[in-house]
Parts: sequence; structure tokens; C-alpha cells
Amino acid sequence: MKEIFVHVDRCLGCRTCEIACAVEHSQSKSLFGAISEHPTPKRRLFVEWVAPEFKFPVLCRHCEDAPCMHACISGAISRTPEGVIITDEAKCIGCWTCVMVCPYGVIGRHLETHTAYRCDRCPDQGEPACVSACPTGALVYRTVPEFSTSVRQAAAAEMVAGEGAAALPFVSEGAAALPFVSEGAAALPFVSEGG
Amino acid sequence: MAPTRYVIVGGSAAGMAAAQAIRELDSHGAITVLSAEADPPYYRPLIPFIVDGRKTAGEIGLLGQGPYTAQDIDVRLDAAVTTVDTQAHAVTVHDAETISYDKLLVATGSRPYIPSSIQGTDAPGVYALRTLADARSMAERANTTLDAVMAGGGMLNLKAAFALLERGLGVTLVVTSPEVLSQVMEPDGAALIRDGLERAGLRILTGRSVTQIVAGPDGVTGVLLDSGEELSCEIVCIGKGVRPNVEFLAGSGVRVEQGIVADTHTACNTPDTYTAGDVAVTFDPITGKRMMTALWTNAVEMGRCAGRNMAGRPTAYGGTFGILNATQVAETPFVSMGIVHTTGTDYETHVFQADDVYRKLTFTADGERLVGAVFVGEIARAGLYRHLIRERVQLNGLKAAVVEHRLHYGDFLRL
Amino acid sequence: MAEKYSEKILSRSIDPATHEMLARAEELGLETAWERYEAQLPQCGFGELGICCRNCNMGPCRISPFEDGPKLGVCGATADIIVARNLIRMIAAGAAAHSDHGRDIAHTLLLTAEGKGGGYEIKDEAKLNALAAEYGIETEGRSKEEIALDLARAVYAEFGKQEGPIQFTRRAPEKRVALWQSLGIDPRGIDREIVEIMHRTHIGVDNDPVNLILQGLKASVSDGWGGSMVATELSDVLFGTPTPVRSEANLGVLKADQVNIVAHGHEPTLSEMIVAAAQDPDMLALAEKQGAKGINVVGMCCTGNEIVMRHGIPIAGNFLQQELAVITGAVEAIIVDVQCIMPALGALTGCFHTKFISTSPKAKFPGATHIEFHEERAFEIAKDIVRAAVENYALRKPDMVRIPDEKMECVVGFSVEAIVSALGGTLDPLLDAIKGGAIKGIGAVVGCNSVKVQHDYGHVRLLEELIKNDVLIVTTGCNAIAAAKAGLMLPEAAERCGEGLKAVCKALGVPPVLHMGSCVDISRILVACAAIANALGVDISDLPAAGAAPEWMSEKAVSIGAYVVSSGVFTVLGTVPPVLGSPVVTEVLTQGANDVVGAAFAVETDPFKAAQLMIDHINVKRQALGI
Repeated sequence: MKEIFVHVDRCLGCRTCEIACAVEHSQSKSLFGAISEHPTPKRRLFVEWVAPEFKFPVLCRHCEDAPCMHACISGAISRTPEGVIITDEAKCIGCWTCVMVCPYGVIGRHLETHTAYRCDRCPDQGEPACVSACPTGALVYRTVPEFSTSVRQAAAAEMVAGEGAAALPFVSEGAAALPFVSEGAAALPFVSEGG
Repeated sequence: MAPTRYVIVGGSAAGMAAAQAIRELDSHGAITVLSAEADPPYYRPLIPFIVDGRKTAGEIGLLGQGPYTAQDIDVRLDAAVTTVDTQAHAVTVHDAETISYDKLLVATGSRPYIPSSIQGTDAPGVYALRTLADARSMAERANTTLDAVMAGGGMLNLKAAFALLERGLGVTLVVTSPEVLSQVMEPDGAALIRDGLERAGLRILTGRSVTQIVAGPDGVTGVLLDSGEELSCEIVCIGKGVRPNVEFLAGSGVRVEQGIVADTHTACNTPDTYTAGDVAVTFDPITGKRMMTALWTNAVEMGRCAGRNMAGRPTAYGGTFGILNATQVAETPFVSMGIVHTTGTDYETHVFQADDVYRKLTFTADGERLVGAVFVGEIARAGLYRHLIRERVQLNGLKAAVVEHRLHYGDFLRL
Repeated sequence: MAEKYSEKILSRSIDPATHEMLARAEELGLETAWERYEAQLPQCGFGELGICCRNCNMGPCRISPFEDGPKLGVCGATADIIVARNLIRMIAAGAAAHSDHGRDIAHTLLLTAEGKGGGYEIKDEAKLNALAAEYGIETEGRSKEEIALDLARAVYAEFGKQEGPIQFTRRAPEKRVALWQSLGIDPRGIDREIVEIMHRTHIGVDNDPVNLILQGLKASVSDGWGGSMVATELSDVLFGTPTPVRSEANLGVLKADQVNIVAHGHEPTLSEMIVAAAQDPDMLALAEKQGAKGINVVGMCCTGNEIVMRHGIPIAGNFLQQELAVITGAVEAIIVDVQCIMPALGALTGCFHTKFISTSPKAKFPGATHIEFHEERAFEIAKDIVRAAVENYALRKPDMVRIPDEKMECVVGFSVEAIVSALGGTLDPLLDAIKGGAIKGIGAVVGCNSVKVQHDYGHVRLLEELIKNDVLIVTTGCNAIAAAKAGLMLPEAAERCGEGLKAVCKALGVPPVLHMGSCVDISRILVACAAIANALGVDISDLPAAGAAPEWMSEKAVSIGAYVVSSGVFTVLGTVPPVLGSPVVTEVLTQGANDVVGAAFAVETDPFKAAQLMIDHINVKRQALGI
């Protein structure tokens, strides 16, 4: 099963993913239509600010051992054969126990219908809308082995080149502080470290 | 090798969660669930919706819904276990049939507590809403009821109250404490919820208790309160807590202290015996104290843990918060977890209150760890706070975000 | 009694009055610019880098800052082109704001000269005559109205000119003017250069980043030595050239027992009249009838700077404190014209009895009461506005009032004329001090507040470092207000200086940080630089001087930075401009500009490091001058 992974050094916080997600979960499936719908379409992923300089989209991980599914007191949350955790709105009674136990804080509360909602991996699309929409390739849709392979290959290349690998397991090639600085370049002369 | 025989006494949250967990790990074992009820396993928290007709019995069934996808679990209904012989590894059903086991789970749950201080509770129309059968009966009686009195202001009675309001009844909540939901939060947090309840049509009387049920030929006609007030009603719903169903274990050798005592891996003192759910004595990871829980979520978690242990995968049980509640009452959602009663203690608390939002964060006295949280009105990302409490996280730089309820998952990533 | 404020509040500002009011805002559940900023985070990186283009409807286009992704907009524009276009549009907006302000002042002078100004006078005849001479207007035997009429018309004409020069640009040293001419950036007309920016940045016009930047510099020169300077000089003619005066700064200037009127915005044509109307006996009587002990006019932002410089009217605070002033619950009316006024004031004043009064047909706000200000009936309308404020006093809720007990005395009013006067009539003592090393150089520290910088931290720390190193400071705008609040505008502040500067300040009886006025009054700094450069026989770029805008945020600041650098002064910016998406533009602004205009920008968010950059630069210039 493919997962949505994040290349942290590539997220610019433009939130195109959030808009695309909401539009994909609208009736009209277009931005111009979506903004006039009632209830307003909801995004299922959340671009968060990680001070001082990172932006990070957080969304449902579709956990193998999903705390939300077990905690649900109405049997509304189940796992599809494809492995996607879904909330059945018809069964959801809006008790928010799932919100209370989700360790990622990614279950939303639909104010109009009093039901919970979360990322459904866009079952009608070949690829989740957020991944398609991301302009920098920060969001990728890969299986765990595929993703790990790409990270390993990048890390191996770095270690061989003697640059010293970045500490983070899911960051790919050369996480420099400023996104457009090419590998090995010194920081631009006028910006001080930590400025 | 012969398939392991798993016998589970009790077909509700803990029992079925254990059965599911066992089946996920052991595809060959024989799993038998013995339920005392006549109805197939169901989502007990949903029974108030039977009262107001929003759900049918079929819709709230457990098997095949949510995570309960396992096949080949033999669920036997109307199969109350009357004795357990831990030496012989066998249980007796209805004092007649004997069933042997390799691994036994006692998950008999709890039953409503009817205080002896209330007289006349055997009259028709008096309910302690616990089973599907209770719900059917209450739903039926609601047809000829004008008013209902709910004795006790806890979560279950609130839900039942709403169900009856949906049916068009006049509903009065009689609460002994000074404020509703006193079990899950302190009065200042409950004030917002109380406003919501009253706006929804619930009449709330606090600081009073029901002492006497008045009945006529058709059952309940009213109640008397200790204040001297008299309320007329045709339904009384008692929500005064629960007691664990342990009586049948007398003489079995299983150690019972109020509830069934479990070790860190849900095992009882007797060999191959496990326990989980409302009937078990567990512990609170925040305080380390022993406690008993009566929450569906906790029962499922402990049941799954027991199931894994029974299936040969040692799994330590992380304990359960004394308080772990989430619900939406009228228009106001709330979440309450961990240590929320702080008056007179030296916990460090931060309270924020605005028009329709209330939150309270409880920290250890040294201010370094989160131990409790109440969110009313704005409950986003509550799970992150549960994580902090449960994992006893040293907050350091996260504290400001916690106090201001703007913690997000990105904060956990040390980028 | 020191209150314990949360980490969050303390991290937002270094100003105790701001701490107190932020805590009060929290108590009342009121949102401020800081909360709105947090809600915006994270901000879009394309925007931050300047590589988002919305100039045509084939977009919006984004250039990828990574090795993969689109490198060209639909029309083929590169990141360099897009960043350059965006940058000079910011200059256009900033220059337009300043120049329109100047235009309004010129218009007021025109009306006054025609006898149609509703209460305006020509206060500084000496300056009127000096300006007239500059424009070649005859003054001998003529009335001031006649002279003013010709001057106003001549200045007015600068705006619509098609061919240059703009008269005031000729105040710059000859070498500087020659340089501008050789670069093709000697402006032709104030409006023309701004229009040309808008033309050039349209799809399919100028697609050369350097060419674009040069036009940006040209327009900025038409602002600094044009529109802004017009505003300054003609304001001096109408309202008097500032001379040193004592006053107070910070929210504590609000008075619990008086009608408080906050004049906020930019143009003294309004604030001067408000001040005058508030002194009218009818108004004072009305106030007394309402139970108030008087009418307390205070200023905020640049219009506050205008009236403090000329009349010693107290200043309540700088840009980020505008909401906090309302939150004191003690303001009967906040009267605004143009620029730097937060639309949030509409909803905020609705939570109090405060009237939010807009006056300019160009600047309307949600939740504001619009009382349109026409110069022809200036004093009359000002009285109407003041009356509305006075009558509102009765609606003040005493239990909602929280005025922080924070205010600082300051000495302000240092126009170029006042400085020369303080020096005894010539610049010589200053030049000697610079040559001798008692004063190492001049620091021009200006600019706004920004939520991206701890409020006043960037300003005050930079100033403290500079004066410790014997750099004399001239300041305007929100930086000046920050300096005043921090006590740096008292003669006693000399004690916080290096020995050299300390001695000079004590000898002259001036503070080490000289308030030169509002943001358009940075033109005063240009005049001073020109005067010093001419006295030393060098170009402005040879002076031991450096500029800084530690907390800048507005487009006006971009125009100012551009004209200061175009005039030859190295400038350090304290918040990162949206140019990093183009290495070419970044290089031009920070390095290449040196070879073109003899000065460049640096970006440094740490005020201590920024100070060092300025000091190092000053030392380099000193060495080159052989002093």
C-alpha cells in the first residue's frame, strides 16, 4: 500500500495541497465552484509551522493499528481492503472520541453535519489530490520500500561524497537551510547564520 | 498441534476486542465468546439512539462493523457463566454445560449501581440504561410518557436525557453535585456545557438527590427529592455508576478486590486467566494508583491487550486514564482527560475561558509535564495532548503551545 | 509592582507598555496583529522568495526554487525577472504614497496662497523665500501669498512633468547628480517615473532585471528628492520648521481625566488642524461640560511625528501599538487619514466607545465613520471632528480604562535648520567632531515596526550599539518613536554613549539620537548628507554614514531604502525582503549596486550584527577619507 510521505526541505508552506484536498472533497470538484458550496468543503491535511523555519503538512497516517478505529464507540471507523482507514459518516455520531485518541491530531470535526472526517486517500483518483497538486514535490506517494530506497540512495550518495548525512530519516538529498542554495554552496554573504 | 481453545466470558467491548485481537494473531485457534445477553454483541454506547429511534438494533451490532472483521468467532448468546474452575480450566454455563479452555478471559463488565438510598426502584418505568433490552423497554414506555427524571448527571444519563428530549418528553436532570459532569470536570468547565444543555431544553436541578420513587398501577408517576420537591414523571433513569460483575467468581480462586486484579499484562493470579474491561482493576499511568474504568474506549484497549497476551504475544498494558471522555452535548463538544479535578491540589493549572470556549490544562507541580486537559467547544487535535499525558513527555519548549491549544504534530518533529 | 507576563507576551515586544496592553487584550479576548500573524503561519514560501507572479491572467505563476520544477512563467519570465518586477512595483507603491502626500501638501499651499485654505497659514516665510529662490521665483517686494502661489504651482508642476529635472534633486552634490544622469536615473517627473514602473512591469515589457531595478531606483529618487522632499519642505512652510521641543512618548500620555484624541496617519494638513481645533475655547468649554479636564491630542505613527516635531504634542506609540491605544479604553476618537492604518481598527473600536473616524476620500475603512476632510474648510471640519470626540467622552466606560503608566520624556524637533542652529550656525563643529573622531560617523536609522521582529528590539538595540560606538544617530518614523520611548532622546542618554559622542552631546546639549521627523522627513536626512558632503567636497557615498531599517515592513520603506542607497548610503535591512528567489537581483542589491551607485544593501536580522556592519562600513569610509 502506498503512503504519503513528506520531503521536509521541499515544503514552502504554499498550502496548495490544502486547497486541492478541499476541492477534491467538494461537490463541484473545481475551485471556483467549491468556494461557494454549503457546507464549505473541508481540507483533510494541515500545513503546520515548525519554528523557526520549517513547514510541514500533517495528515492521517492510516495507521496499521489505528487507535481511532478501536476507540470508536459506534463502529463508524473501519479499514478498507486497500488498507485505508475510513470514517463512515452515516454511522458517525460525532462523539469525538477519535479526535481524543488520534496521536497526529488530524481528525476534523464537521460542524455542519456533526461527524468526523479525515483523509481518505482520494479513492476516486489515481493519486491523492494533495500529491498531484504539490508544486515542489514535497508530498510523494510511494510504498514504504520505494520511499526508503530513495532516502537510502540519497544518503549513500552523500556519505560517499563526504558531506555528512542530514540527521532526519525522511529528508532527502541535502537538507540545506535555504531551499534554493545548491549543495555545497556557502550561505549567501549577507545573511548571517541563524538570522 | 491442536488449536488453542480461547474462551471469553462477556461479549461486549473488552471481550469482542480481545476476540478480534486473538484472531489477528492466531488464525487457527477456537474462539468462543459467552455472552449473558440475548442480543448479539453491540456498541453499548449507542443504546440511547435506540430510545430516540435514530438507530435500530441491527445498525448498532458489533460484528462486521468497525475493526470487528474477524471470522470464525463462536458467539453464544444467553450463555451466562455461573462458575469458573481455574484448576480444571473449565467454565460452566447456566449451571449446566461445561466448556473447557486453554486460555480464559473474564470480561463480564459491570452493571448499573442502584443506590439503596433511593426507595421504590423496582417500580416499572425505572431504568438504569445499560443493555439493549433496557433501551427497547425505555423506548416502548416513552410512547406513553410525558416527563422523565434522570437521577445523576454523568455522561450516560446525559445521552439518555437527550434521547428522551428527542422523543418529545420533558426531561429533568437531578444532580447531587453542584454542577453537571462533576465526574469528568470541575464546575467552571461544565458551566459552558450546562448552558448548552439548558438551551437544548433540559431542565437541570443541582445539589439535590432523588430519595423516593412514587408509583401507581402503571408504574412510576413521580419522584421525591431530598429538598422536599416533588416531580411528576413516568420514566426514571438512574445513572449513579456501575459495579463490576464478579459475584460468579466466588470460590474460583481468582483474586477479586472490588474488581478482578490484573497484572501489567492483564493476567490474573490464576494460571491462563486474563481479565479486561469494566470488571478489571487496572491502574492510572499518571498517578500510578489502582483504579477501575467504565469507558468503552478503555475496555477495547485493555481487551485488545489481553487478547494479544492470550495469543502468546506479551503486551504490557499501558494503564488507563481515570478520565478519558469525549462527546458532543447539544452544540458543544468536549473532551476531558487525565487529572482534571485540581482544587486543593498543587498541580499547576492554566484555564482559558471565552464566550464559547473553555480549556484547562493541568501540569505537574513543577510544571514540566502535562497530566490533564479539558477542552470544551474547541477540541481540535485533542489526541496530541493525550499522547503527552500518557507518554509523560517533558514539555520544555512545547509548554506554551500546550497552554494556548495550538500544539500540532509538527511540534513533535525536531527538525 | 512588576507583573509577570507570559513568555509569549514578553517575546512579542521589549516595550513594557506593549506588554501590559497585550495582557489586557488577552484578558478581553481581543485579537491583535500578533495573533493574526500567527494564524497566517506558515506563510507561503513562493511569496517569501518573491517568485510568485500575478501580473497577468495566464498565471498565477510560480518559479520553483529547487533544481526541479518550472523555471519560467508562462510568458517565459525567469525568477530574476519576476523578483525584479515585484520589487519595483513595491517601490512604485511606496513612492506613490509619499508623493501623493507631497502632492496633497502642495495643494494645501496652493489653496492657502489663493486664500482658500480653511485656516491654514504660511508660518515659515524664511523657508518660503528660500524655496522660491531655488525655483527662481522672484521674492523682492512681493507678498508671501504671491510668492507661495508661484511656488505651489511650480512644485505642483513637478508631479506631472514629462522632462526633468526635479528641482530638489539638484540639492544633491554635483557628483551624485552626474552619476544619476550617467546611469539614466535622474528622474523626469514625480508621477512619470511611477507610471513607467507600472508600464515596464506589465507582461511583455521590461524583462531585464537590471534595467527594471534601475527604473526602480529612478522612481525612488523621484520620491526621496521629489515627492517626500516636497512634503517636508512645504509642510515646514505651512506649519513651521521644527525646532527643539520637549515632549513625551508611549501610551502613558493618554490621560484618564481628559478627552483623548489620537491623530493617526500621515498628513499634517489634518493633524495640525486637529491640534488647533482642540485648543479652541468652544471645544474646551464643551469638554468641561462633559466632565473632562481638557482635550488631550496625541499622535501615532508619522502624523504623530509631524505634530511632536512642531508642537511637542505627545506621541502615544508607533505602528504596532495602534490597536493597543484603542484597547486602553480611554480613546474617544482615533482620527485617521492615509497610510499604515490597520483596517482591524474598525472591529476593534466597536468593542469600545472609541470612534474610528476616517477623513480621506482615498482611505475608507470598514467600521469607520467617514467625516471627509476638505482643506477649504479645514478648521471647521476639524472642529466637527473634535466635537464628535468630545461628545463621546460621556460614553467612556471608566471600568474599561487601563492606561499603562509608561511614558518617556524626549527632546525632538531636529530639522536640518535646528541642527545647524544647535551647532552654532554652521556645520563646522559637526564636521570637526567627525574628522577628529569624537563622532565616528552618522547612522540614519529609520523605518516601521513588524510582527516579524520583537517590537522595538531591532530599533533600540541597534541604536544602543551604534551610540556606544560613537555613531551619531538621525532618525525618523517608527524608529524615532521607539527611540523616544526608550529614553534615547533625552540629553541624559549621552551617558549611554561612547566617550567621544558623549562629550559632543553634552557640549551641545543634544541627545545622541536626533529626531528628524516623519518618514517623508528622511528627505531632511538627504539634505543634511548633501550639505555635509558639499562641505567636505565629496559625494554622499564617501561619507562615514550608514542607514538601517531594522523593523521595516511597508512598501514605502522599500522606496526609501532604494533612494537612500541611490543617494550613496549603505543600508542594512532588518527583515528579509522578498528577493531571495533571484540570486541575480539579490547580488545586484547587495553587491552590484556598490559599483553602480556607490552603495548597497545588506540584510541582517540581528541588530548587534547589523550595528557591526554599519560600524565597519563607517570605518572603511573614514579610512578612505583619511580621517
